[in-house]
Amino acid sequence: MNTILKVDNANVYYGAIHAIKGISFEVNEGEIVTLIGANGAGKTTTLQTVSGLLRSKTGSIEFCGEDISRVQAHKIVEKGLAQVPEGRRIFAQMTVQENLEMGAYTSPADMDKNLERVFEQFPRLKERRRQIGGTLSGGEQQMLAMGRALMCSPKLMMLDEPSMGLAPILVEQIFDIIKSLHENGTTILLVEQNAQMALSVADRAYVMETGKITLSGTGKELAASEAVKKAYLGG
Amino acid sequence: MGFLSYLISGISLGSVYAIIALGYTMVYGIAKMLNFAHGDVIMIGGYMSFCGMMYLGVNGWLALALAMVVCTVLGILIEGLAYRPLRQAASLAVLITAIGVSYFLQNSALLIFGATPKVYQPLIPLMNAAGEPNALKLFGGQLSISYISLFTMLSCIVIMIALTWFTGHTKLGKAMRACSEDKDAARLMGISVDKTISLTFAIGSALAAVAGVLLCSFNPTLMPTTGSMPGIRAFTAAVFGGIGSIPGALLGGLLIGIIEAMAKAYISTQLANSVVFAVLIVVLLVRPAGLLGKRMTEKV
Ligand SMILES: Nc1ncnc2c1ncn2[C@@H]1O[C@H](COP(=O)(O)OP(=O)(O)OP(=O)(O)O)[C@@H](O)[C@H]1O
Ligand SMILES: [Mg+2]
Repeated sequence: MNTILKVDNANVYYGAIHAIKGISFEVNEGEIVTLIGANGAGKTTTLQTVSGLLRSKTGSIEFCGEDISRVQAHKIVEKGLAQVPEGRRIFAQMTVQENLEMGAYTSPADMDKNLERVFEQFPRLKERRRQIGGTLSGGEQQMLAMGRALMCSPKLMMLDEPSMGLAPILVEQIFDIIKSLHENGTTILLVEQNAQMALSVADRAYVMETGKITLSGTGKELAASEAVKKAYLGG
Repeated sequence: MGFLSYLISGISLGSVYAIIALGYTMVYGIAKMLNFAHGDVIMIGGYMSFCGMMYLGVNGWLALALAMVVCTVLGILIEGLAYRPLRQAASLAVLITAIGVSYFLQNSALLIFGATPKVYQPLIPLMNAAGEPNALKLFGGQLSISYISLFTMLSCIVIMIALTWFTGHTKLGKAMRACSEDKDAARLMGISVDKTISLTFAIGSALAAVAGVLLCSFNPTLMPTTGSMPGIRAFTAAVFGGIGSIPGALLGGLLIGIIEAMAKAYISTQLANSVVFAVLIVVLLVRPAGLLGKRMTEKV
């Protein structure tokens, strides 16, 4: 199995706050890997460091064999790494279609093909392509954020709490979409508070606590682990 | 006919303010900063076109093109050297830097061109070779609109249409809107925020050059402080219309121009500024985001 992402000894600071304390993990091609942990554990910080929005003081981040730890965020996207940020962060004043076009910024040549693929995956977005992003419902906004990330045909897609604030039925739907993306060959790094759902779809999982990775294993192993059950699965 | 001719002079002055206001508003929209030096770029545009005509002997139109090129480069340099290093800094630090850049430009002009006003050759002379006014006469000659006024209004319309098209229909223009909404999200799309901000300064500064030439064509004395007052009025116009909004800059510019012209005509020349600012204050009390501004809502 090829390692697509390899984070080695990352340390990230917000001023004096040491948010990520020497973590290392990897994602292999074709996997769904999940990163779970309580609020403030450092999951978002980790993803932002991988995507280049934040910098690690030490170590390296290899994407497809290349060290990207000093590459600018917008150039990392070009290499095929997309992030669906926490809180969706869609462009609220732009239309659905324009949001998707922004997703295709680095690969305009494949835009029509990708647009078709995204609309197939999210028919709701096609119906609403002229609607202003900010007026979409929460679930639709999440779909838009995911669709937008897919517009650059990423090799690795990182999702930061895609189920946040959604009704259970929508959470199911989002996870179904994640599974189908995975079946279509996209590698996925999934950050979730909803540990149960995340572990049920993940090949492998890491547990983060206050900036460190404290446990790792296959999704099944962790779902069965007493420590995880106690802390994240409600007993 | 008095009222109509005041109105027309207000609209043409307002068109210049609108062109300047665009620079403030676009830069504010994307960099969230008040580029205090924008007014002085206008003045540099005036001097550059002046030099083009005086020393290179080119005609007014080529001089305008020259001024646009120089100001575009100047805008990119100002952004890259003075503002970019402060991207993460407190907004007060950025504002003080912008004021510093403004003084730097004024004093450079003072050093190079001296304090004595230069007499500027209008882009379209007010009189033609036969000594008749270069103007469109309406109502049997009762109302006359100078060609430079017409050209100014036309430029303003063309610029507005072009910018609206640019931000609405081109990839770069949309990237600009994306950056002004959410820079990190834009980065995650693969958009270079630095390049986009540079581009915005380039466009704003090229427009400042146009405004400089038009302004000097109306008021042909060129000094290092030429850009200050129109800069402040245009900034007022941008706030008036709703800072960050392109149609707002147009509306604000025209209204400020008209109010100024009317105040000068019917109240007093000295009080014109006070009237302009009084109206601004009232509008902001009623609509804090400006006439066409969107009220900022916090995203959750
Ligand atoms: N911009 C910031 N400035 C200072 N500290 C920050 C900043 N962003 C995050 N932190 C701190 O870094 C730590 C990790 O935050 P992070 O957002 O990565 O957590 P998280 O695991 O994503 O949490 P959640 O599940 O609530 O999203 C927290 O203690 C947080 O307070
Ligand atoms: Mg988070």
